[in-house]
Amino acid sequence: MPSIATLVESGAILKIEVELGPREQPMRLLYGTPQFIQWLEGLLEGAEPEVRLGEATAAEQVDDLFYTYLSGKPLSHVRQFRVVRAEKNAVWELKTPDVRIFGWFMARDCFVGVFGDWTDRVKDHDLYRGYRIAIRRLRRELGVEGTLCVAGIEPSDVLSF
Amino acid sequence: MTSFRFDIGGRARKAGRFIGRVRSELLKAAAEEKDANGVTAGELAKKLKTRNSAINKQLEGESNLSLRALADLAWALNREISFELRPLNGAAGQNIPAETSTVRGQMKVIGGPAEDSSTLPSPPQTHVVTSKTVKFD
Repeated sequence: MPSIATLVESGAILKIEVELGPREQPMRLLYGTPQFIQWLEGLLEGAEPEVRLGEATAAEQVDDLFYTYLSGKPLSHVRQFRVVRAEKNAVWELKTPDVRIFGWFMARDCFVGVFGDWTDRVKDHDLYRGYRIAIRRLRRELGVEGTLCVAGIEPSDVLSF
Repeated sequence: MTSFRFDIGGRARKAGRFIGRVRSELLKAAAEEKDANGVTAGELAKKLKTRNSAINKQLEGESNLSLRALADLAWALNREISFELRPLNGAAGQNIPAETSTVRGQMKVIGGPAEDSSTLPSPPQTHVVTSKTVKFD
C-alpha cells in the first residue's frame, strides 16, 4: 500500500514549497505530479493567459494561493477552492482569477496538484469532466483511491481553518 | 529531486501577496456582512450605483481595483480601511514583536538604534476592519 513517502521516493509526486514569512512555518502540505511541476515551471518562465483578468500576473496569483494555503490562512470556499463534482473521493479545484488547479486531497490539509490551466480555457472548453476523469484514473494507477484520498466533500473535510 | 520551490522573486512576491491580501480582506468583509446583515452583492451594487457584475468581478479579483473602488467597497461594507507601511527589518528566527499597547512609541531603546532591537515591528499590513461606531453618511 503506497504512502506519501513512497510516492515521493518513486517520483510520482514532489513536495511544493514557497517562501514564507520570517515568523511563519508550513501549516499544510502541498504536492504536485511531475506534469504539474512542469506547468508551474512554465509559469515561472512567464506564461500568461491570452487575456488576463487579475491585476497580478498568473505566477503571482499562484504564489499567493500557495502561500495562503501553506501558511494555514483561510481560503474562501467556492471563490478559492471547491469540489469539482459532489461525489465520494472527489476531485478538487484551487482557484485564482486566471488559473485553475485540479487535484485531490490525500488527507486533510494535504493537496496534490495534477493539472493547471487557464480559467478561460477551462470554462470555454468545459474541461472539468476531462480533468476529473484523468485524476481519478491517475489515483487508481497509483493505488491510492481507497487510502490516500479524502472521501468527504465538505470544506472542513479537506481544510482546517 | 523530491521537492520543488515555486520562487517568483521578491518583487513579484510582494505585489502578488499584497493584491491577494487586499482581495482576501474584501471577500472576508463581504462574507461577514452577508452573514450578519444579509447584505448581498446586488445590494452593494445598488448602494454604489453600479452593476452586480462589476461588484462580483471586483470581489472575484477579475478586475483591477483602484484605490477609489477599494474605498467605495469599504464604505458600502461599512468598514474602515487601515493602511500603513512599516520598515521591513524582521529576520528569520526573530522573536515575535510585543503587541501590548504600552510598548509602541514608548519603548526606551538601550545600547543602539531601534533596528538593532530584538523587538521589531511587524511587516506592512492592510486590513479592512469593522467600523461599528463611525458613520460615513
